[in-house]
Amino acid sequence: MTETTEIMTETLILTEALKTALTARFTALADDEITLSHRVAEWTGHAPLLEEDIALANIAQDELGHGTLWLGLRAALDGSNADALAYHRDAAEYRNVPLTELPKGDWAFTMVRQYLFDAWEVLWLDTARQSSYVPLAEAAAQALREEKFHLQHTALWVERLALGTPESTRRMQDALNQLWAYALGLFDPLPAEADAVAAGLLPDVAALQTRWLGLVRGHLEGVGLSIPSASELSASPLPYSRSQHTEHLAPLLADFQRVAREFPESQVW
Amino acid sequence: MSELPRWEVFKQDGPGKVHQAVGSVHAGDGQHALFTARSVFARRPAAVSLWVARADHIFALTKQELDAGKGLSEGNGGTFYIFGKKTNRRSMTLGDHLGTLEASNPQAALEAARTQYGDDLLVWWLVPDSALVRSTDSAETVESWFAPAKDKTYKQQSSYGVVGQHASAHKKAVRGGDHD
Repeated sequence: MTETTEIMTETLILTEALKTALTARFTALADDEITLSHRVAEWTGHAPLLEEDIALANIAQDELGHGTLWLGLRAALDGSNADALAYHRDAAEYRNVPLTELPKGDWAFTMVRQYLFDAWEVLWLDTARQSSYVPLAEAAAQALREEKFHLQHTALWVERLALGTPESTRRMQDALNQLWAYALGLFDPLPAEADAVAAGLLPDVAALQTRWLGLVRGHLEGVGLSIPSASELSASPLPYSRSQHTEHLAPLLADFQRVAREFPESQVW
Repeated sequence: MSELPRWEVFKQDGPGKVHQAVGSVHAGDGQHALFTARSVFARRPAAVSLWVARADHIFALTKQELDAGKGLSEGNGGTFYIFGKKTNRRSMTLGDHLGTLEASNPQAALEAARTQYGDDLLVWWLVPDSALVRSTDSAETVESWFAPAKDKTYKQQSSYGVVGQHASAHKKAVRGGDHD
């Protein structure tokens, strides 16, 4: 494995522009994981079942672990510090997709969001395993294993709630109506990503969107939910993006970063 | 949702090891029970397979009940998975899978199991094959359900030095602190 890494690194010439593109993507991925992890962790002690409380805490830890993985890849490129990035950037500097910062809502909202995100992440990681940037290919293979389990778990909940009671069906449809446009934001290409995609370093998010739509449409419509139509979406486009956040991100970060900012000199937790 | 039925969970720690009863989860159906069991019992340390069975579909009898002449309730014949608890010593598990046998009803299965596995077990559980829901053995499931745990730090409770110590050890430590 080490030998392969060396050979691949030798043949791959990372220009400054490509490094910038990789850094931006790793930051976006990390910020998605960190913010979603925090929203999921908000259920700890409050989930409707003890077993699901534990399962969600597991998911939150896994996502935070993936966030650490992405910040580690970024650090290897620009020498940044993961804790400084996670705990000492303000909302305006975070590059997560607005989907992951929305308040946790009810159980249906949490499950629909997690399902849509897990499906995106599984497909992104699955493609990134083929990246010509070996550290990314290896990290993707590692994270993919846990993410596949997350996706199975949330797909199971989507099915049971959508087919459950009239109330659970209504809550699921409400959640999907609210979340769908935000989920599509996952597929907005990052500025300056095109060359890195062409060089085989990063997945092409436009191609992923087609695969994602096939996957989630099949599952959601298969359990009787309706996906908002293109005309409904274009009637009220979202004014938010990875660099234009909702009002919910700042309070999330205030909570997430409070201890680190109160004790900035701490070295050991 | 606390009204959901209880499922007993059986975990296999590695190839060649037997499934052991490790505890229970509440879940709406067998697949759901498997997913929650994975999160509750198989995130640390490694496992390779999980089974679940609804608690009220398991035929169970203690040694005391047997000694008092109690038998198992009526039920269909078929394949039974036999689990037994061998000792009262403190343990992370509640019973081991001893084997599988065919019988015409639960009581006949119990009698065959007592002949085959000895008569001194403390608890018998007989799980009809039809009640068991199993995680799949596919490479993909092993990879996503069980493999990630292998790379993660895991400490037994005892390594934290607070579980399993007599209370006097802590009192002594506190008194020691007062003298300093």
